[in-house]
Amino acid sequence: MEWVETSAKTVESATELALNELGVAEADAEIQVLEEPKPGLFGRVRGNARVKARVAPLTPRPKQEKRRRKGKGQDSGAEADKSDSSDQSESDDRKSDGRAKGSPKTATRDDAPKADRKNAAKPSAKGENNRGARNHKTNDDGEREMMPGDEQVQVGCAFLQGLVDAFGLDAQVHGELREDGILAFEARGEGLGLLIGPGLGTLDSVQEICRNAIQHVAEGREYGKVRLDVAGARSDRTAALEEFTKAESASVMDSGDDVILEPMSRMDRKIVHDLVAGLDDLDTESVGEEPRRRIVIRPA
Amino acid sequence: MSDPDVGNRIPSHAVATLEHVTRSVVDDPDGVSVSVDDTDSRVQLNVTVADGDMGRVIGKRGRMANAIRTVTRAAAVRDGIEVDIEFVD
Repeated sequence: MEWVETSAKTVESATELALNELGVAEADAEIQVLEEPKPGLFGRVRGNARVKARVAPLTPRPKQEKRRRKGKGQDSGAEADKSDSSDQSESDDRKSDGRAKGSPKTATRDDAPKADRKNAAKPSAKGENNRGARNHKTNDDGEREMMPGDEQVQVGCAFLQGLVDAFGLDAQVHGELREDGILAFEARGEGLGLLIGPGLGTLDSVQEICRNAIQHVAEGREYGKVRLDVAGARSDRTAALEEFTKAESASVMDSGDDVILEPMSRMDRKIVHDLVAGLDDLDTESVGEEPRRRIVIRPA
Repeated sequence: MSDPDVGNRIPSHAVATLEHVTRSVVDDPDGVSVSVDDTDSRVQLNVTVADGDMGRVIGKRGRMANAIRTVTRAAAVRDGIEVDIEFVD
């Protein structure tokens, strides 16, 4: 098998490209790093990484693997149900992100939570067997009933205040259902770093659990998309990520070359997708698999 | 919640957090219990939930379980103890 040589912003990106080209999983390939890039904030680099790779000799290459490398179709067979719903959500994630381009933002917002809940409902319904099968409350038009805004805020705030107390911390928790449908919570206070965590990891986990706690009380009713901030950490990071994305976008426009970003959380990817979607001449796509899923920005 | 004052290896903040978080997402909050196993070098927190609630706690592809672990470990920093979290069937 011949060697392919790729270059990208990071060794990982270059490896991913090479593996995509070869159509094999990392384990089945022989990879040599030819050149390391210099790292920077959010994957901004000065020199490209270069790797060369080939299919490792003597290893048969299953077709399944090939599809896998393309970033989808994680599992098959036994876990069909589970993986279906997850894969679905991945592709929804990408599709709705993509769709945001050129369509009004509100449309995307309306779509996303529905898809989310539909998928989230599957495993839980499975997990709890026949106990209280959550009948989705619908009105005459078949549309989902809305959970009252103040109830959404109250449930979220109670959860967050309880969490702050359990941590033995002191914080003021605020929440509101904004006009754009975002259920925004913020905890303010001193010394709340533990609730934020490296790369906002803890904050994202708390947000996920908060969303779940609200979903649980909602029992099938509509509720806002949950956004949680602690001591402004998320807005600071979002602002920095937006600055970075603008700079990367400008460089794609200038050079006409694709830029592959570092792996990011789905929430960070959403920010990038949404921002680039507002620009006319660029497209984004997420490639690879969690937790190494990353965005490619390319000319439209 | 477990008695926070017993022993010096009881991660009381982690236990309180784990209980609060788990109870917030299950159908049967009273069915949630957390026990502390500190016989090994690392302290382990074992969570049991009522029948049928395990799916909610684990979540799709274990996302919920991982989120709960992340948050509980953060709380354990307050206790100065590293913990592992197991969801017991």
